Amino acid sequence: MSIQKKLSRLKGYMSIPSKSDDRKQSVSQQSDEKVSIPYLEHWESFGAKPFFFDGQYCFVREVSYPLHYKHGHYQLGEFYDVHRQWKHSRFEHPLSSKHHEVSDLFFFDTETTGLGSGAGNTIFLLGHARVLDDRVVVRQHFLPNPGAEVALYQSFLSEVDYTTLVTYNGKAFDWPVLKTRHTFIRDVVPKLPAFGHYDLYHASRRIWKHKLESVRLVNVEKEILGIERHEDIPGFLAPMLYFDFLSTQNPEGIFGVLKHNEIDVLSLIVLYIHLSKQILSANEMKNATEQFEMARWFDSLGEISVARETYERVAESNVQEAAKAKWNLSLIYKKEKRYEEAIAIWQELLQDQSDLLKIKAATELAKVYEHHFKQVEEAYTYALHSYDIWKSLVRAFKQKDEKKEQELLRRLHRLERKLKR
Amino acid sequence: MKKKSLSQLIEELRNNPNVVYWHEIEPQEAKTVPMPDSVDHRLRKALEQRGIAALYTHQYSAYEALQEGRNIVAVTPTASGKTLCYNLPVLQAIAKNASHRALYLFPTKALAQDQKIELNEIIEEMGIPINSYTYDGDTAPSIRQKVRKAGHIVITNPDMLHSAILPHHTKWVSLFENLKYVVIDELHTYRGVFGSHVANVIRRLKRICRFYGSNPQFICTSATIANPKELAEHLTGEPMTLIDNNGAPRGRKHFVFYNPPIVNKPLNIRKSAAVEVNHLAKEFLKNHIQTIVFARSRVRVEVILSHIQELVKDELGPKTIRGYRGGYLPKQRREIEKGLRNGDIIGVVSTNALELGVDIGQLQVCIMTGYPGTVASTWQQAGRAGRRHGDSLIIMVASSAPMDQYIVQHPEYFFNRSPESARINPDNLIILVDHLKCAAYELPFRKGEKFGHIEVDEIMEFLAEERVLHYSGGKWHWMNDSFPAHNISLRSASQENVVIIDISHTANHKVIGEMDRFSAMTLLHEEAIYLHEGVQYQVEKLDWEEKKAYVREVDVEYFTDANLAVQLKVLEEDKTVERKFVRLHYGDVTVNALPTIFKKIKLSTFENIGSGPIHLPEEELHTSAAWIEFSEEIFPLGTQTMEQVLIGISHVLSHLVPIFVMCDRGDVHVVPQIKATHSGLPTIFLYDRYPGGIGLSEEVFKRYDEIIKEVKNVVESCPCEKGCPSCIGVTEETIDPIKQTILAFLDKLE
Repeated sequence: MSIQKKLSRLKGYMSIPSKSDDRKQSVSQQSDEKVSIPYLEHWESFGAKPFFFDGQYCFVREVSYPLHYKHGHYQLGEFYDVHRQWKHSRFEHPLSSKHHEVSDLFFFDTETTGLGSGAGNTIFLLGHARVLDDRVVVRQHFLPNPGAEVALYQSFLSEVDYTTLVTYNGKAFDWPVLKTRHTFIRDVVPKLPAFGHYDLYHASRRIWKHKLESVRLVNVEKEILGIERHEDIPGFLAPMLYFDFLSTQNPEGIFGVLKHNEIDVLSLIVLYIHLSKQILSANEMKNATEQFEMARWFDSLGEISVARETYERVAESNVQEAAKAKWNLSLIYKKEKRYEEAIAIWQELLQDQSDLLKIKAATELAKVYEHHFKQVEEAYTYALHSYDIWKSLVRAFKQKDEKKEQELLRRLHRLERKLKR
Repeated sequence: MKKKSLSQLIEELRNNPNVVYWHEIEPQEAKTVPMPDSVDHRLRKALEQRGIAALYTHQYSAYEALQEGRNIVAVTPTASGKTLCYNLPVLQAIAKNASHRALYLFPTKALAQDQKIELNEIIEEMGIPINSYTYDGDTAPSIRQKVRKAGHIVITNPDMLHSAILPHHTKWVSLFENLKYVVIDELHTYRGVFGSHVANVIRRLKRICRFYGSNPQFICTSATIANPKELAEHLTGEPMTLIDNNGAPRGRKHFVFYNPPIVNKPLNIRKSAAVEVNHLAKEFLKNHIQTIVFARSRVRVEVILSHIQELVKDELGPKTIRGYRGGYLPKQRREIEKGLRNGDIIGVVSTNALELGVDIGQLQVCIMTGYPGTVASTWQQAGRAGRRHGDSLIIMVASSAPMDQYIVQHPEYFFNRSPESARINPDNLIILVDHLKCAAYELPFRKGEKFGHIEVDEIMEFLAEERVLHYSGGKWHWMNDSFPAHNISLRSASQENVVIIDISHTANHKVIGEMDRFSAMTLLHEEAIYLHEGVQYQVEKLDWEEKKAYVREVDVEYFTDANLAVQLKVLEEDKTVERKFVRLHYGDVTVNALPTIFKKIKLSTFENIGSGPIHLPEEELHTSAAWIEFSEEIFPLGTQTMEQVLIGISHVLSHLVPIFVMCDRGDVHVVPQIKATHSGLPTIFLYDRYPGGIGLSEEVFKRYDEIIKEVKNVVESCPCEKGCPSCIGVTEETIDPIKQTILAFLDKLE
């Protein structure tokens, strides 16, 4: 029996996705010939030019925006303002561009044929934006067929003279996929340069994970940056449109994906502006919830003085996080040996609604009276108080954490012994 | 009471009337060769510290063949030091050149763990920084990066290679650029569907190696099978050198066949094998003789275990006798293995899980509950008993099953026969296409490129038409947003499986297994009793559209048995052989199966205690088949008699065929038809259960004469009068003298 006959009979057993339509692959064969580019005039009128290399070609498209172009709440040129502020800032921060020039930053996003970083996932569009003295330039490198990766990366890598990538989830996705693709052709194209990397996804998650249902870029654009997309192609359709393009070579559909990517990289600039502003003036932020997250970020970076100031502002507010800010603030005071101020906060927290905070505050009070002020009786009162609240919590929730219980009891017993001496 | 020694017990057993055959295997002295001069001094020293100053002859031959650049397959009985066959050359290669890499493949995670421990001990004593890591589902993400970049020896399983390593080969550049050796342990387990898949995974591996410029040598080790060299060559696509000059010493072995007494003469029913096993095991355990008992199913293991524990509870604590089977937690297994090695555990009852190379040291007695199914498997289990010095005893207790009875009554068949051949068919079109998709995902296919020895342009064109691949620049590229390896399981029969969900606990529904669609019709229909790790579940709902079966734990006194109405259509005859009264064919068929009713059958008495209809759509299976067509001239028989003759012969065939083609009973189906649709003639079909076929029915076609001779042998030598479950089966209204009719009929088939 012929293979073809067998294949069609056994097709049902093979996990082959159903076809999206039945249009035949009519045009793709011609890529074997020298260079004849289908729909060239469409591409050219869309601002894309072919880039030739080693008998292959890819498209390179360039779009410029003036600095006063407003994308959502911000003008692109505000990037210069935040950069100036970073230069003068008194603290270090992972998003700080203090040590970079404006043109070092490389806002970067890709479109791929699938998810994950497996070897079969192909990047078909590399888009990047760069802020120049007088304009913002968006450049896109597009793969017109999967056999043209050498041309694609040649065109892309010959112009990356930047030092720092700015991406959205690029650390986990875009960059590993790019590395995978590069491995295939590493012998014929330039090396991948070493980059610094700002991943704005991590920053966004940190600040908005409680506020937003999802911190996908489109959502951040809409909810935070005031960017409305019109007639946008949703990102998840990009692979389908690309497969369609491959079989027909008609670029109308794929232009939508290029447009989508163009907006993505512009949004990265605006997002960077917005995040920078928030970070740089953290103690003036209006939203105390976000402000609290910002303070915690500084705290974890060891930028204690900014963290302290920011916590202090949150503590003055009346949001839920105020008590948590106070607590974190008290720990900073404690570290700085400002015991009186720390004690004042703990005393205050004993009146707080949260039992967990009460326990923590009472425990801290017991510790500070025992070890620092050497007032065992005071210490014992607080330790007992802390244990009582714990007990009532355990009763209410019918669950207990053995380790925590042991820890509280150990302190209580030690203090009892000290009292008896 | 004074304890009896093993030799005393052996003498006592000689007088047992149920012992039907006694076979002795002579002891053998060790045959050694001095450690070759080329071995690195640090490695030599490390081995000496472990008491290895010389090599057994087979280890030496393996080492030398590999130094000459050949690929090897070493056939090694249990406890003959097979791991040194690969560890020695691998460690030597890395000691000589630290950039060399090796990949170890074990069929299971547990075996991989064992090996890592042993390997790391040697490495530590060598004092060279060689990194060996296991890479499997349990490997922490934090160290994966390190394994990829810096692992000299990566120990994994074929499933991981298939779904995690090859599709991400760009993260493993240093491994693939420097791959010197690929080790395939337990080669004999790679047969049937699983082996056919793995052969394709290896084709993919070799393709990726070529891309990165390496050309690894293969080192395979196998238990005794008839065709280790052929299997290894088929699996790896490389010429192999067979190493079988085993030089390890062994003591005397007694191999005993034990047939329980007949309790029902007319029906030829014997006393239960399990009961006999309990009593035999008790004798040895009472006398503190380390014993392993093998049982065929997980449920049996638990039943026998509880009986034996009960029988010897006064002499031994319950912790000294343990069960061992799939479904136990890895930690528990490690504990049992250790207990067996250091002697804390005296007895273990196991499924064939302990057939594999797990290190449990050497026990003195092995008892098998029933014939394990294949000659190879029997020798594997027997290998668990046997010390390097001193006697050991193996007892095979036969059940009433036809295969068992045949074996004990024809011991020469078992002892003279070479073990079974392991078959794979890597070119099964469905399996092949699945792996071609994975391979295209990993690396585009050039026009004209071969996969193994296969021309694949036609298949590539097919996949391009299906819009999975895209042809451009003389290559086929993967152009789909899916990850093909995720949808392809190396171990399951067909791709679209029914998922089994346990809903016993409302808050905690969980998936406990999966089953191929075809089997699910008769095993997972609504109200079916489904057994999973010895626990009974009832199927509450079978969602055929969504391929989900919802089951709930129950405790009932019956099991269910479904009837399947099968129609067979011949699509194409590929080969035909003429005999005097029969015509034998091989080709492609369509099987249409429709489950009709199920019966509830009481566990203790096999009474039918109820039945119900099954409402499921018909299933269609395209596969390969062998069929035996009987000419009308054999001799005239009434339709009813003819039907019973065919059913009787099919009954024997369904038991015998798995012995010949080395597969499970469910892998080949036997269907008699009084009037085949395509010819109108009486016909018996034997078809592969796996879509597209994996070469089993083809093997039946090739070995028809041999098989038919054995069928006759079985029926003739069965002591029953009118047919019994051990030979032709029994039907409700047997026409006398059906057994004689069948024998006369069989006479004409050769």
